[in-house]
Amino acid sequence: MGESIDVVEMFKQAAFEVDNRRLPDLKPQTVITTLGMDSVAIMELVAWFEEKLGVRIPDEQLSKIRTVKDLRDTIARLLPDRQFAA
Amino acid sequence: MIGVVPALNACEGEHSRGFTFLGAKGPGEDLFVSFHDLRLSAQRRAAHYAAAGLRRGDRVALVVPEGEHFIPAFLGALWGGLIPVPLYPPVSLGKLDAFMEALVGILNIARPRVLVTTERVGKVLWSAVGRIASIEKVITTEELAKHAGSFPAAADVRDDEIAFLQFTSGSTALPKGVMVTHGSLVANCRAIVREGLEADGAKDKAVSWLPLYHDMGLIGFVIAPVCYRISVVFIPTMSFIKNATLWMETIHKHRATLSFAPNFAYALVTKRAKPEQIARWDLSQMRVFGCGAEPINPGTMRAFLQAMAPAGLKPEALLPCYGMAEATLAISFVPLDEPLQTDRIDAERYHADHEAAPVSNGSAFLEVVSCGRTFVGHEVTVQDDDGRILPERHIGGICFRGPSLTAGYWENPEATQAAFRDGWLHTGDLGYKVGDRVFVSGRIKDILIVNGRNYHPQGIEWLVNEIPGVRKGSSVVFTRPGAASEEIVVAAEARADDAAALKAQIVARVSEEFQLAVSDVALVPPGTLPKTSSGKLQRRKTREQYLNGSIGRTSRLGSTRLAVAKHLALSLVGRARHEVRKLLGG
Repeated sequence: MGESIDVVEMFKQAAFEVDNRRLPDLKPQTVITTLGMDSVAIMELVAWFEEKLGVRIPDEQLSKIRTVKDLRDTIARLLPDRQFAA
Repeated sequence: MIGVVPALNACEGEHSRGFTFLGAKGPGEDLFVSFHDLRLSAQRRAAHYAAAGLRRGDRVALVVPEGEHFIPAFLGALWGGLIPVPLYPPVSLGKLDAFMEALVGILNIARPRVLVTTERVGKVLWSAVGRIASIEKVITTEELAKHAGSFPAAADVRDDEIAFLQFTSGSTALPKGVMVTHGSLVANCRAIVREGLEADGAKDKAVSWLPLYHDMGLIGFVIAPVCYRISVVFIPTMSFIKNATLWMETIHKHRATLSFAPNFAYALVTKRAKPEQIARWDLSQMRVFGCGAEPINPGTMRAFLQAMAPAGLKPEALLPCYGMAEATLAISFVPLDEPLQTDRIDAERYHADHEAAPVSNGSAFLEVVSCGRTFVGHEVTVQDDDGRILPERHIGGICFRGPSLTAGYWENPEATQAAFRDGWLHTGDLGYKVGDRVFVSGRIKDILIVNGRNYHPQGIEWLVNEIPGVRKGSSVVFTRPGAASEEIVVAAEARADDAAALKAQIVARVSEEFQLAVSDVALVPPGTLPKTSSGKLQRRKTREQYLNGSIGRTSRLGSTRLAVAKHLALSLVGRARHEVRKLLGG
């Protein structure tokens, strides 16, 4: 149901809205903590995703998310009915 | 003036006041636990601990994110005379390995017999448990909530007994556990509640999103409120970080009067609050917005007051304070009803003469926030390196003594002797006094405090030294004042073949390893960073040279320099430099 969710594109938008940061070269394998955002900004970015998609990522799962793809996979598990871009 | 255990015991029958946990019963559904029920739930946990064979003085590690589970588990340990060791939970992004290392490091020092955690977090922690030899058993908070046998009587703890171990936040290298005693807790809670806040549980209500494994959240908003029966509304820390305006929203909704947070939180909420939200909020009943735990930026404070003025916030509600875990929590408070006071001091004389001289017209200045005065029975002095007490407006090490002093560091006599000398706690902070007012202007010890977390520069320097292109052993990490919090600067010696690429790599590696944003990298030619006669790099001197512009500047006005100049112009020291440039014509 609905159009497919492109987490990489959404991530770029989130980084701009939350941290005024442009990430044209962002890839699924990009390690999130190498982007130069501090821990508070990263959590705000997670919250941005949660609000846009209506999900809640359990706190203890956050520590396992390293890359943009990890974030995508975590969200995909929480939204089994939605389609996700590769 | 009674201790936390007798105070909790006296809560029987207190049904109207207590703790409210936001969203603990589901989205939008809050949980209220009266102090009467809190006493019962602490007793129940104490019964479980006793059944598990725990005895007085045994350590109990707590890795419990939710306040409604953490607080009964913590108070239950105190009830039984055990020593709880609160630890931060694994909730930051992608840092599981680093978290586990830190956890194992701390617990192999504290040597708890039991680890208390939640079922969910326990699934993440299991691999670390096997690496901590002292742990006999993992108990979940779900198990602790079940029915227990007969409740044990409250432990008859003495003032000099350890209440809990407060490990310093965020650092992985050689963690130190501050031994907070029952006596130091009594003294500091009394100072905070009675003298600092003049709080009255019948009228006051507090709101806190502070983490409970940290002294300001745990002592300020759990232990002191239990001792004086002040109702508190707890916002989950992660909910605040994700949506900072929830803090103000909750204060508004609950008609709260007291709250505390570090500087960065005031910057964050000022940035996030929308005008239509502020217009809706009523903050006029707020008596105290305390600010402490990291350097206070006067610009942040003024911006917050200005932003929240339409919500009726009184300027005198802002209460800068100063403290640290080694002093239990609080060292000094600005008196109630006193608005933000800052001191503008001559920058040149501060750096060159170590004096805080009021600025004369047109000179470059530093603006330092008054952190108020210490409490009855306590004393703050400023001392030189030889322990001589300095006159007012002379810069030296800030020292503190009185009944709030903790008993030092757990099983670490060297560190204890270094910090607790001749009856004084040597705070490691630099500052000065004017009359009885305390001004904190910098740090002697080089701990980096960013967004309320401590980082040791050595670990970051070790990492930077490993990056190809950086001259081995030549990097220095320090902070500069930023708009919201302190900011990280890396200075390193390098041959500048491709300086931009090397800078980007340093930023990326530090960010990846420490989840820490590097705000500037200053690359300098080999052999140009300041060293001692024995060849050791001098961190403080490098920082001074960076802040006064003698390193880290390219010869021409490049974009990096512009960015740094713009940033510095917004910061504490930056304002001073900006003034100088204006005088010189740009």
